[in-house]
Amino acid sequence: MKIHKWKQGALSVFVATALIAGCSSQPSNQAGNDTSAKGNTLVIASLTDPDSLDMHKTSWLSMENSLIYEPLLTRDATGKLHPGLAEKYEISKDGKVWTFILRKDVRYHSGDPMTAASVKDSFDRLLAISPVKGLAGPIEKVEAADEYTLKVHFSQPFAPFVNVIVGGLVSPLDAKKAKELGDGFSDNPSATGPIIFDKRERGASLTYKKNPDYNWGPEYAANKGPLQFDSMMFRLMKDDDTRLMEFKKGTVHVLYDAPPNSVAELETLPGVNIEKVMDVGNKYIAFNNKHPLFSDVRLRKAVALSVDRDPLVQVALNGFGKPVYGPLAPTIYGYSEAIESKAKQLYTRDLGKAKQLLAEAGWTDRNGDGIVDKDGKPLSVEMLVSQEPAFQRAVQILQSQLKEAGIDMKISVQEMTTIKDRISKKSYDMALMYYGWFDADILYLIFEKSNSTSRTHYTNPELDVLLNKGRLEMNEQARLKIYEDAQEILLNDLPWVPLWVSETVVATRGVKGFTVNPYTQGITLHDVTLEK
Amino acid sequence: MRRYVIKRLLSLVGTLLGVSVLIFLMVHLIPGDPATQILGQFATPEAISQMRAKLGLDQPLWQQYMRFVGNLFAGDLGTSLFTGEKVWDQIMNRFPITMQLAILSVIIAAIFGILLGTIAAVKQNTFVDRLVVLTSLLGISAPGFWIALFLIWIFAYKLALFPISGYEGVHSLLLPAITLGMAEAGMIARMTRSSMLEVIKQDYMRTAEAKGAALFRIIVSHGLPNAIIPVVTMLGLQFGSLMAGAVVVETVFSLQGIGSMAIEAISKRDMPTIQGMVFFMALIFALTNLIVDLIYSRIDPRIHFD
Repeated sequence: MKIHKWKQGALSVFVATALIAGCSSQPSNQAGNDTSAKGNTLVIASLTDPDSLDMHKTSWLSMENSLIYEPLLTRDATGKLHPGLAEKYEISKDGKVWTFILRKDVRYHSGDPMTAASVKDSFDRLLAISPVKGLAGPIEKVEAADEYTLKVHFSQPFAPFVNVIVGGLVSPLDAKKAKELGDGFSDNPSATGPIIFDKRERGASLTYKKNPDYNWGPEYAANKGPLQFDSMMFRLMKDDDTRLMEFKKGTVHVLYDAPPNSVAELETLPGVNIEKVMDVGNKYIAFNNKHPLFSDVRLRKAVALSVDRDPLVQVALNGFGKPVYGPLAPTIYGYSEAIESKAKQLYTRDLGKAKQLLAEAGWTDRNGDGIVDKDGKPLSVEMLVSQEPAFQRAVQILQSQLKEAGIDMKISVQEMTTIKDRISKKSYDMALMYYGWFDADILYLIFEKSNSTSRTHYTNPELDVLLNKGRLEMNEQARLKIYEDAQEILLNDLPWVPLWVSETVVATRGVKGFTVNPYTQGITLHDVTLEK
Repeated sequence: MRRYVIKRLLSLVGTLLGVSVLIFLMVHLIPGDPATQILGQFATPEAISQMRAKLGLDQPLWQQYMRFVGNLFAGDLGTSLFTGEKVWDQIMNRFPITMQLAILSVIIAAIFGILLGTIAAVKQNTFVDRLVVLTSLLGISAPGFWIALFLIWIFAYKLALFPISGYEGVHSLLLPAITLGMAEAGMIARMTRSSMLEVIKQDYMRTAEAKGAALFRIIVSHGLPNAIIPVVTMLGLQFGSLMAGAVVVETVFSLQGIGSMAIEAISKRDMPTIQGMVFFMALIFALTNLIVDLIYSRIDPRIHFD
């Protein structure tokens, strides 16, 4: 009888567990059977599952949650400014009032027309609840002057606003629907974009369908009407090998963030297109400028002169990036070629100069071990770095480069949250960091005294004056000049070492017209067609 | 028996209380401000301090703990900071896949492990025996992600028998379950083998043999039931750890189970979700152990609980 009992016991475990599994909300329609690139669905392999689809609540707009929103103004792939939901705009003489004339034919996904009043409501909601509302500038109030005229009043001029708009932060959402749905808006958003939210399987997929009433495509798109496919799906796949196999098998059209070391293989596949999109930000070495060592500009410069950026890009990024020497990436408004070439001239690797600067600061190799020392102590510094694979590879190259100059750099791998925490507490020497933003105002967000504690602890009153002036200056030429001056200071004082700007690799197959705009970082869907 | 169950359930409460302290400290001792992490790099200081207040981070640690435990025992695991969903709902949404995966893996591990282990024991010191020992060693030591990618490459990519990733029904769980089950099968096989070798030497086995019973019958009706006892414990323990340990497999196969949820929650410092999940897993682990112990007494009547 023992066997019988054993069977009973084992069976009861399985029955019980199966029951628990069966009773709980069974994810029966998880991704359904439509996970493959069948029918008229554009399928994109995606890495991030956005926290919220509500633009005012999300911590970051990504392609997954930004495509339903459209900006008032936009840029084309060359960086030229174009009308978006606003036909035109005007800035008052004092620079404090921005007037937008809105298009009259735009409707939200709910069917309600987009009017100045509704866009004002969207702005009001942003100012009330968004944790990043500070980025939108010192907005005093927003006013609907008439049905299609919107006025944004600032307490003082705020020149970066145009790029805040282009970046999508203040794109109008359907505030009426948001009010109706409350927290539910996150899972059922409504705005004006060419795609409409369809369904979401958290952790698995996000599906949108095309907006059949859409007819307000941007000037630079050939197709201004509804999209030429029925739906699009972001399939969440975190593992690189899995994503790659799905793409190779043809179950996804677009492999966003293709693993760099697989690009060569992808290029050999028939019908595969590879596009490279430059980022709107840099990776850089952040010094703790209050550190006894790095408060000395000679040491900061010595580090910069020890670095050879080319192997970083070629080896750590498999060539998918560009070395940068100056503060801003080429895709950021305010980038100056003059500054970049000057920076390159100043900080191209020169070990002789690096050692000379170290010697001037009292650091020379007295005991012949290859590491410079002072008062019997070797120059040993710690570099904080996150687990990101490209960073990991880069930091090892940096370590050997710095060693050639006589600097002993210890690598400390930490989580980004920990790194940020240590930076804000000034308990670090150096850290491998990154930033991304659409305007030269990023320099204010990193270096101005009100922000510098979260990055480099560098303060410079002269720079603060310029960075504040840059926000106020409405004349474009004058403004660009201010940022050139500010960047000059950063070149001379070097509170950080800019290293490279990354390029996102996008592989596509079975799809035409898929482009990513480097200035807005958004996907342009209007001219996308799927091959049957 | 009833007294035993009640006693075990009471000690379970104690265990969970201990677990709650650990979870709480674990999450609070990791450096890094969750409020900053949640709101992103450009959040206003005002928004950050509001978030800190919302999370209760501005209160003394003991007060935070009391509130945490109070909610926990009232059945409230809190609300995810990122998705805004109830942690319990999230877990229940993700749990079925992990559960199905674990059940399937245990079945695979049990079938293959017990079968191979028994064969190896019966054929002790032969080529077959050595082959089983070697294969089980491979199963135990090969990394999960490697087995997973190998299986995907052959069965999903080349032969197109299964989807590469994602959940399209129970059949999409077969490859992940084999991946998970293989390591476990290896261990089960080794354990069954040694346990069976003990049993084979027993008098009752020789008696059965002397009575002229067929080898198959002797092994199945006399040997296995006795050899299986430690294996059941092992399976139970494995079931618990499979539920928690499906992280790699769920990531590789893009399955939306508990494992992938844990990874996301940890990378985002989603404290309530991390805490809720660890607590939930501890509960499942403890309950599985209890069930295994009860089954134990059914298989082997010599074991009594008082």
